[in-house]
Parts: sequence; C-alpha cells; structure tokens
Amino acid sequence: MNTRAPIIVIAVLAVASAAWWWSENRPPAAWSEEEILLLESLWLESLPDLPPDPTNKVADNPTAVEFGRALFFDTRFSANGGISCATCHQPERHFTDGLPKGVAIGMSNRNTPSIVGTAYSPWLYWDGRRDSQWSQALSPLEDPNEHASNRLMTIANVVEDKKYWRMYKSLFGEAAGVDTMYANIGKAIAAFERTVMPTTSRFDEYVAAVVADDHERQAALFSDDEVRGLRLFIGEANCTQCHNGPLLTNNEFHNTGLINLAGEVPDKGRILGIREVLEDPFNCEGPHNDAARKECSELAFARTGPELIGTFRTPSLRNLENTAPYGHKGQLATLADVLAHYNEAPDAMIGHNEAKPLNLSDRELAQLEAFLRTLAAPASFLPD
Amino acid sequence: MISRGMAFLFLLLTLQSQAFAHGGVVEEDDICVIKVNYLRAHFKIYQPRVSGHEQFCEDLPAAAESVFVMEFMHDALQTMPIDFRIIRDVTGKGRFARMEDIEAIDDLDAATVFYQSATLEPDVYSVVHTFENEGDFIGIVSATNADNGEVYAAVFPFEVGFTGWGYWPLFIGILVLIQIQYLAMSGRLKRWFAKSSPAAILLAAMLLPMSQPSHAGEFIVTYTTPDGPPELNRMHSWILYVESDSGDPVEGADIEVDGGMPAHDHGLPTQPRVTEDLGDGYYRLDGVRFHMSGDWEMFVTIRSDESEETVVIPITL
Repeated sequence: MNTRAPIIVIAVLAVASAAWWWSENRPPAAWSEEEILLLESLWLESLPDLPPDPTNKVADNPTAVEFGRALFFDTRFSANGGISCATCHQPERHFTDGLPKGVAIGMSNRNTPSIVGTAYSPWLYWDGRRDSQWSQALSPLEDPNEHASNRLMTIANVVEDKKYWRMYKSLFGEAAGVDTMYANIGKAIAAFERTVMPTTSRFDEYVAAVVADDHERQAALFSDDEVRGLRLFIGEANCTQCHNGPLLTNNEFHNTGLINLAGEVPDKGRILGIREVLEDPFNCEGPHNDAARKECSELAFARTGPELIGTFRTPSLRNLENTAPYGHKGQLATLADVLAHYNEAPDAMIGHNEAKPLNLSDRELAQLEAFLRTLAAPASFLPD
Repeated sequence: MISRGMAFLFLLLTLQSQAFAHGGVVEEDDICVIKVNYLRAHFKIYQPRVSGHEQFCEDLPAAAESVFVMEFMHDALQTMPIDFRIIRDVTGKGRFARMEDIEAIDDLDAATVFYQSATLEPDVYSVVHTFENEGDFIGIVSATNADNGEVYAAVFPFEVGFTGWGYWPLFIGILVLIQIQYLAMSGRLKRWFAKSSPAAILLAAMLLPMSQPSHAGEFIVTYTTPDGPPELNRMHSWILYVESDSGDPVEGADIEVDGGMPAHDHGLPTQPRVTEDLGDGYYRLDGVRFHMSGDWEMFVTIRSDESEETVVIPITL
C-alpha cells in the first residue's frame, strides 16, 4: 500500500493539471442565442440612420458640409492664427490628440473627446454642457485656452474670405445679428461633424460571421482570447451596462471613480455641465434653434441632482486604441490601466463609483484588452 | 471612588467632546464626519499620489498632495460661503486645539500653509494642498450663515507623516496611569516612593496628572499626590510643581508650606516640609496630614531671588 501512495498522488495531480489546462485552453463555447442578440446590438450594421437635426436647418446640406469641413481645418479662426478644430480633433487620431488634456492656445481643462459618432449623442463634452453639435462647435472658438477668438472675429473671418462668404450667404442669407451669424457658423461646422462616423471593424466582421453562423470565418477573424474577451465584455465584466449599442456608448453620465489629476481638485463633471447647458443661450430652448416647434425633451427632462457629482459621459469604444490616454483628464495612459481600474473599482473621491470590483484574473484582463483592440477602425469623413 | 486613570480618561473625553461641540472631525459609524457647528458633512482626505483611493479621516501618512473633500449632509452648507485654512500647529494644544486657541494666534497668516477664500459650493466641497513638510497641522473650516452673518467653524488638528500608531501612545499612557493608580491603592507605590531615587520620583510625577493650577503673583503651583488622593488622618506626600506665569519651571526655590481650615480657624496637625528639590520645578513635600473633613487651604510660600509669594491651594476632604 505504501509504495502505491506516491503514484496515486502523482496521478491525481496529473489529472488535475490536465483538467485545468483543458478548462483554460479549450476552444470557447459557441455563442448562445441570447449572446448573439447582444452581439448584434453592438454591431455597426445595427446603427440606425442618422436622425435629422431639426435645430440645424443646414445639418444635411452638402454646401454646409463643405463649408463646415473648411472651417474645421482653418487655423485663421484663432487668436494666434495657428489653431483649428483639427489641432485637438486630429482625424488620424480618431479626432483626438493623444494628450492627457488638450493643448491649443493654452491647456484645456479636460481630455479631448472624439467627435466620431457624436451626431447620435444628445449631449456633447465630458460633462454634457452642450446639447447639440452646433452649439458645442461655438464654445472652443471663444475659450481662452482653445481658439481664444470671439464671435465678432469669427464672423469677420468668414465675411472677409470670398469663398466662405459666398457659401455662408447661399446657406443663411445676408448678414444678421452677431449671435445669429455666430450660431450659423456653428451649424455649418456641425454639418461637417455629422459626417464623421466610425467604420466597420474586425469586431463587426466577426459579428457578421456569427450572425451568418459561419464558424470558419469566425475562427479566421477572432483568436480564442479575443472570443473570451468579447464574452467577458458582454457578460461578467459588465462593460455593456454603459458601453452599449453600435457606438458602444449610452452617451449618459456615470461616476467610475477615476482619481484626480495631480494638483487638481476632483472634477465635478456633469453636475456642473447640466447647470451650464440649461443656461446656454445656444441651447435647444434658445432663439437660434431652427425647429418650427421646439421639441427639447432631452433638455426638458434632463436629470439634475447630487447623483451627478463626479459623473462623465460614457465615451465610445470604437477605435479606442487610437484615443489614448483615457479618462476625462487623461488619467489612464493605457488600455491595461483602464481595465485594471475597473477591475479594482475603488471608492470615488467625490460622489459614488457606480462600478463594482470585477476581480478578473490577469489573463482575463488581457483577453478583454485583446477584444477591445478588435474595435480598431478609422473614422470616415468627407475627404478633402 | 473613581480611579485616577479613569478620571483622566474621562477628562480627556470631556475635553474632546468640548472641542467637537464647537466643531471638528469625528468618526461616526465608520464614516468620518466634520461638524461645523450643527452642520455636518462627510469628510475625507485622499493622498492620491502616494495612497491612491485610500481615505483618511484626520492624520495623513505622508507630506504629499492631499485632497480634502466634504460631502454635505446638511443642505444649509450648500448655501453658505465656506473657507478653508490649514495652519501649522502653533497653539501647542495639539489634539485639543479649539477655536479660542486659533483666535488667540497673533499672526494667523504667518502660520497658514494653505488658504482657500470663501466660496459657495452647492455640490461637493474639495480643496487640494501639497504638504511640503511633515508635522502637526490644524485645519479650520468656516461657513458663513448668509441670514444672520454668523460664522460657524470646525477646527481639526491633524498630523502629516504620522507614525501609524494612532491613539496607541494615549492608550499606553492611560494603562500606565491605571497601573500607577492600582499600585497606589495597594500601598505598593507608597513603599516604592519611600525608597526611590529622586529621578524615579520625578518620572512618576511627570506621569501623574497634576491638580488645577493655583496662582499668586508670578507663580503657578500645581501638585499631585502619588500615594493616591489625600485621605483623612493619613500621613502622605505631595509633589509640587512650581512654574512662573511664563510657563518656565521655577528651580531651586525656597519653599515653605503651611495650611489650615479657614472655617474653623485652625491649622494643619503637622508641619509639612519640602524635603527634596527634584529638579525641573518639582519639589517633594512630606508630612502632610488632614485630620478633619471639609475645606482646607494649603499655603505655599515661594521665595526666589527676587520675590516672595504665597500661593493658596484649596483642597476639600
């Protein structure tokens, strides 16, 4: 009996390690029907047609798109003649700038958010302090740290450029009040920004293969780790609670307990943004809304109150590897940092962190990251 | 009879609750609360660069960037301008510093290491300060009531770069006192006291709580009775501590002690004598005995080079 004991121990260990190896490395299970529905909901093919923007009568006017594109890249609309919208919203970086906080004339207060797909969002900025693309476009022009220009200079720049002035007049008619003309310029920029959209990523091709039940193509598109990462993404890791829909954002405001930027008090986020948008003269309720009947349900029913403390708008995850660093102050340098943060879900410095600790293993975090990288795909926009 | 250790503990708690009655920081049900008069806020301090998301209530581990956060539990604070000041602890009161001590500081600005002038913050209040040095600091939060102009304040002393011992030294001190009290009650201290060296007695005197101070002229006298509180008809010893009103110990003084009962117009049954100059302003007084219950007065006459004063110490048996 005694001579057999070591053999039994070795046999048990061998079986146990084989079982462990198998459980870690066996091919991922097939997608359930429920999971397939979830995957379809994230698929770019599921993105509805861009809803009309009745607040901007030139939103889908090709001349406005062309005019807006020219304005977007024009550095004359700044105090030093060197800053355009594209200084921070660089097309090759998915319309961000690769910096923790935007740098133009000065340093902006937050990380530069992407423009891609924002035509679908009821709120703009990390704190949602604007409620349309056109009202958003106006604010950096007058921000002393960004373009440091003003509305009179902006209008003068348009009037003095023959081509711009011709396009302006064809869209909006003759000169009018300063604020009206300024709002019109924002509407032209927004017409261009409405065209900035994500494109099909490897993830979308994979979902197409899942929907078509093409296992060979699935295997060719996604590694086992990417499949496991995707399963975590739509399951255990709770990512789709906020990063849902084809743009992988709910465009709503959440506190995820990010740490303050060195030397700064914690950012109060949406609680300040909601006050600002309600007061904004260019908001949906304002006189520059072009809609015959102002339907401002987002503004009218917007949530206020202390639960907004320290909350920020969920960013889209499309092409996210090209939008580092992450967080409203660019606090997190890499995707691994972001995942480590959610895995820990520490208490928020102000307000309450809505995320709960995930307690995923390093291997699972790596799988999640592998999946997130399959979302890489450049944005499309009207080329030059 | 309440043991002296317990009495001291009680005194500590009383002092603390007095401080907090005027506003301070306390832990309640595991959450840290700042009380600004009757107004309360959830209080937390972060040192994000060195301790990540860890929360601190008062003492901070490092001289580093520190974010002070107040989440209001009382809506009134949302409508009051709040200012926030951090000073080096120049009061010498440490944990027991109160608003009166802050008001007594001549040059508050010189002691100030951080000041955020009054701001109205409707949501959550936060300030950030990077401590350059470790040490003892006092935070002062003031809120102004717009209705009546009254200023409410919270004062919270704290340590930056603390040892991590927390209140352990205080606990150990109390345990030592309780032990001394036990020895005194059992009479063992008395025997020890009789044969101990002046240095040991001095150490004992420094550990024992002193009486309320009695003044006369430039002298302040406090005393302790290492054998336990005076009992009727028991010969016992005192340790006197004599200091000048500037707080310096009076050393090498010539001291005479007498006493009596003013109501009965008679003196002590004994003639107590200072038998030993223990140094540092401490003197051993032997031969004290009271033979009646009631109000007594002890007359301590101190002769130094320049002056002579008699300090009257009231004592009730």
